[in-house]
Amino acid sequence: MNVIECKQLVKMQRNQKTLDHVNFSIKENTITGLIGRNGAGKTTLLKIIAGYWRKTAGDINVFGVNPFNSLFVSANTIFVDDQMSFSNSLSLLDLLEEAGRFYPNWDMSLAKRLFDYFGFLPNQIHENLSKGKKSTFNMIIGLAAHCPLTIFDEPTTGMDVSVRKDFYRALLKDYLEHPRTIIISSHHLEEVEDLLEDILLIKDGRVHLHLTVDGFKEYAVGLRGNSALIYQLVNEEDVLYTNRVGGEYVIVKNTFSHQQAKRLGLEISPVTPNDLCVYLTNTTKGGIDDVFKTS
Amino acid sequence: MLNTDHTKPIYIQIAEWLETEILNGNLKVDEKVYSQYKLAEMFTINPATAAKGLNLLYEEDILYNKRGLGKFVTKDAKEIIVNKRKNQKLKNLIEELVLESERLEMRDGELMEMVQAVIMEKREEGK
Repeated sequence: MNVIECKQLVKMQRNQKTLDHVNFSIKENTITGLIGRNGAGKTTLLKIIAGYWRKTAGDINVFGVNPFNSLFVSANTIFVDDQMSFSNSLSLLDLLEEAGRFYPNWDMSLAKRLFDYFGFLPNQIHENLSKGKKSTFNMIIGLAAHCPLTIFDEPTTGMDVSVRKDFYRALLKDYLEHPRTIIISSHHLEEVEDLLEDILLIKDGRVHLHLTVDGFKEYAVGLRGNSALIYQLVNEEDVLYTNRVGGEYVIVKNTFSHQQAKRLGLEISPVTPNDLCVYLTNTTKGGIDDVFKTS
Repeated sequence: MLNTDHTKPIYIQIAEWLETEILNGNLKVDEKVYSQYKLAEMFTINPATAAKGLNLLYEEDILYNKRGLGKFVTKDAKEIIVNKRKNQKLKNLIEELVLESERLEMRDGELMEMVQAVIMEKREEGK
């Protein structure tokens, strides 16, 4: 069953298409990583899914209905980011108790165990927390709500390395006990990739790739060697990145014969998903170096 | 335990880890292996990825299914793993050798002579 279905979804903001005919669907009880550069449209997409923002055109269905103005979607969805606003007249502990009134699956025991583990004090006020502590508290709300659709938009902003690690492990353990549909947007693909089942890569408001994590890892490889031989083997349009430092090195779609590459004396190397993301989302094939090219 | 350079697919790493457990004797014939959920918890990975690793071993007859009970180690598991590793690793090394000898434009038989010489040398050392 698909929890989210997007068809030709468009969002205009100030005459700019921030989402440009987006198509994809997300299966129930999977963890998907939403990856993209700054300004690619990640947050816009997530806010439309959560029902916060209205679409401009196309179709968006969450649990089979349009999420905007849907009480059903808002009761079954939690959207966690670093701008969640909480009342300052309530203490952190009060906030946990209030959250229990909002979310039918709220797990107070988990919330309190995480609260203690991360060293929160019951009488603290959300506004006075540091950036990292705010993110940590929001994460507790996001996990303990046990919403069938749980969305984390850049959840680890400001968290230190060890809290980030704890968060990912807590997320996975809780998911194993209470399977649900989870979307995490992140700049740190290398940190989340092991947790993910699928990767949704967006670029310039469009879906660039939607693959399983393993499919993503096998999507492209690096090739090093004589440039004439490389282009004898691969199509130029399949090349995602070129670097000429220390001999020709290209990153290319994995659609050629590895046997033949070896015979031509070309060196094949795997590309990390994080690097692949950078190369896939670059606007030029030479990256930042192209800016400094003066000819 | 898992390779952290992010280049080898995790499901293959899971399969290789289980193979090593079988080779070490930590998992014996007809013994139940970890479930996808247990593996997911142990390595902090997605359970679908863990399932893919288990399935790989099932397809290679290293594990068998008992309906509703999980996956178990087959009788021939150890032999299959040993053969597979020999074939894969050695075959790759030999391919490298042949390629390099072609690059160096060695005449037919020269490589074989070199291999033979190394074998003899090792035998001498062994005496």
